[in-house]
Amino acid sequence: MNMDPFSFIVAILVYVAVIVFVAGMTFKIIVWAKSPRMKINLGIYPKPRNGFVRFFRIIRDSFIFPQTLEVDRWMWVFAMLFHAALFVALFGHFRLVREFTFVSNVIGQDNLNTLGAVGGGTMGIIMLIALGYYLFRRFASPYKDISVPEDFILIILLAGIVGLGDHMRFFGAVHTEDYREYFQSIMRFKPAFNEALAQSQTRWVLSWHVLFVNLFVIYFPFSKLVHLIGTFFANKVRSE
Amino acid sequence: MLDIEKKELMIQTLKNKVNKQLLYYLDVCARCAICRDACHQYKVTRDPKYIPAYRAELIRRLYKKYFSVLGKLFPKIYEAKDIDDEFLLSELYQVTYACTGCRRCMYYCPFSIDTLHILSVAKAILLSAGMENQILRELSDAAIMKGENIELFKDIFVTMLKESEPEIREKIKDKNAQIPIDKKNADVLYVALSGMHSILPAAIIFDKAKINWTLSMFEAANYGYFLGDSQKAKTIADRIVSEAKRLNVKEVIITECGHAYRVMNFFYEAWTGQKPPFKVSALIDSISRYIKDGLIEVNKNPSSEIVTYHDPCQVGRNGGFFEEPRYVINAITDNFRELTPNRTKSWCCGGGGGLVAIPEMDEFRIKTGEIKANQIKETEARIIISPCENCRLQLDSLNEKYGMDIKVKSMMEFVAENLKV
Repeated sequence: MNMDPFSFIVAILVYVAVIVFVAGMTFKIIVWAKSPRMKINLGIYPKPRNGFVRFFRIIRDSFIFPQTLEVDRWMWVFAMLFHAALFVALFGHFRLVREFTFVSNVIGQDNLNTLGAVGGGTMGIIMLIALGYYLFRRFASPYKDISVPEDFILIILLAGIVGLGDHMRFFGAVHTEDYREYFQSIMRFKPAFNEALAQSQTRWVLSWHVLFVNLFVIYFPFSKLVHLIGTFFANKVRSE
Repeated sequence: MLDIEKKELMIQTLKNKVNKQLLYYLDVCARCAICRDACHQYKVTRDPKYIPAYRAELIRRLYKKYFSVLGKLFPKIYEAKDIDDEFLLSELYQVTYACTGCRRCMYYCPFSIDTLHILSVAKAILLSAGMENQILRELSDAAIMKGENIELFKDIFVTMLKESEPEIREKIKDKNAQIPIDKKNADVLYVALSGMHSILPAAIIFDKAKINWTLSMFEAANYGYFLGDSQKAKTIADRIVSEAKRLNVKEVIITECGHAYRVMNFFYEAWTGQKPPFKVSALIDSISRYIKDGLIEVNKNPSSEIVTYHDPCQVGRNGGFFEEPRYVINAITDNFRELTPNRTKSWCCGGGGGLVAIPEMDEFRIKTGEIKANQIKETEARIIISPCENCRLQLDSLNEKYGMDIKVKSMMEFVAENLKV
């Protein structure tokens, strides 16, 4: 199976992470759903005229939150950059599930690889810069006064994930197909490295990257990151 | 150290206050502190404890300690605190009763976190520990006492009203005009504040508009709401509800008082589980309707004095009346100039949340009103209108302290002065 013990444990931990994430998020949503709802609507005026406008507003407030731009421009800019880059980079990882043949058929495999390299690399750098902004902002007053260890743990985990990902993107000599084989071996419940990965020192970077992702995903449902889902509910209250 | 029983009671209070909204707010806040400059109190004082996210964080620390698995296992990660932590409780008291409840932070928050909602839980916890604000408690108890002994107050009240009637008669040239009280089957029950300043101008408008109205014996203000004691607040609101039922009125018009309208229109239902059995209106809304429907007419004021309008948070952002007051002002003057920002983004004047009633907060509220004072100065207005008693008291204080040279008026006063007779 070509795997060192550390990489093997990390690969096994992927299953644990997925289970904890799904169970944790389900638990969270059940707790939210079972809690009593306040009887009255305490949204902000002017309130939306009808359900369609309300839906539009919830989506707008959750994805763009334009009013925030007026009160803290740089935080808005970096939050937007970070989340957009995160989304694109995460989307790019689906190449590991299945190659984007619908793209390579149009622009060719070489161009897709270049797109992945340039696009993925750019997103990685944007995220790292944004995380740097997040972190240094927390060192400054008054943000340091309201920060708790949770905030730093999450930034460090994310910086680890992104930094190691960038390392693979910029310095690794391993190709997408090899990562895809590794990823698919985990999906088939038979974690293994192929020859290329087993021969390369990059496997250490890969395993640390995956380890950080595992820890991040395990912590996710118990952290403020549940805003991934909660933002829609909280912004709904605003429009009611 | 608090005794065990009290501690248990506080934890139980927190548990009872958990609902969907509270959980969303406690779970999603990223502590990004984008809200910091949305709050006039932080913006002026630069004291981190007034950042809305920090105020909410204090409740989150308690919640994590008792109701979150990871918070119980690793309290340090969340800085979770015991509910009898003296430093936390003292900060909680300060930031909770300092909050004016303007909800400007909610407007700017990317998750729309309602800090006022979280602080209502803080008030409940402080109450259960007997740590509530004493002035607000005394004012609430006084209001309840008056409700139980209304016969003692009635004669003096009626005498005061009778003495004012000639003024109305002269003003609108109607020798039958009066201030009716205890009138069965009237269409409207008008709930004023204590003091003729909130009765006389309204009486002039109602009588001129030939409304079949009667005056409530109680004042609209509800200190139980500011105190955060829903039992007391309900008892205080019930005085008006039972009077309205007894007199069989169709509509209750709440005077120009920010929180009073919200109490009757929103919170009464939250406390009792049912809507009051009559229509609840805000006086500014009624006045604008009377003008639109031609029930009263106003003169265009020839004066070139600039008039501005302060959106009280509870009337605008939290109550929904933005255009009605502007319609009325523009009907009277051609020299209306807006404050910037206004409407939903309006800055709190600094006097809300019952702060004007708490002497120990005087210095703080006048200091934190600086933003509003500067806004008003920029307009070069000589008259400012605001349909909220707390705002007007605060604006009067600001006028004196910051030398704004401005007259603070209620809408009914402005309309009554310029009424066509």
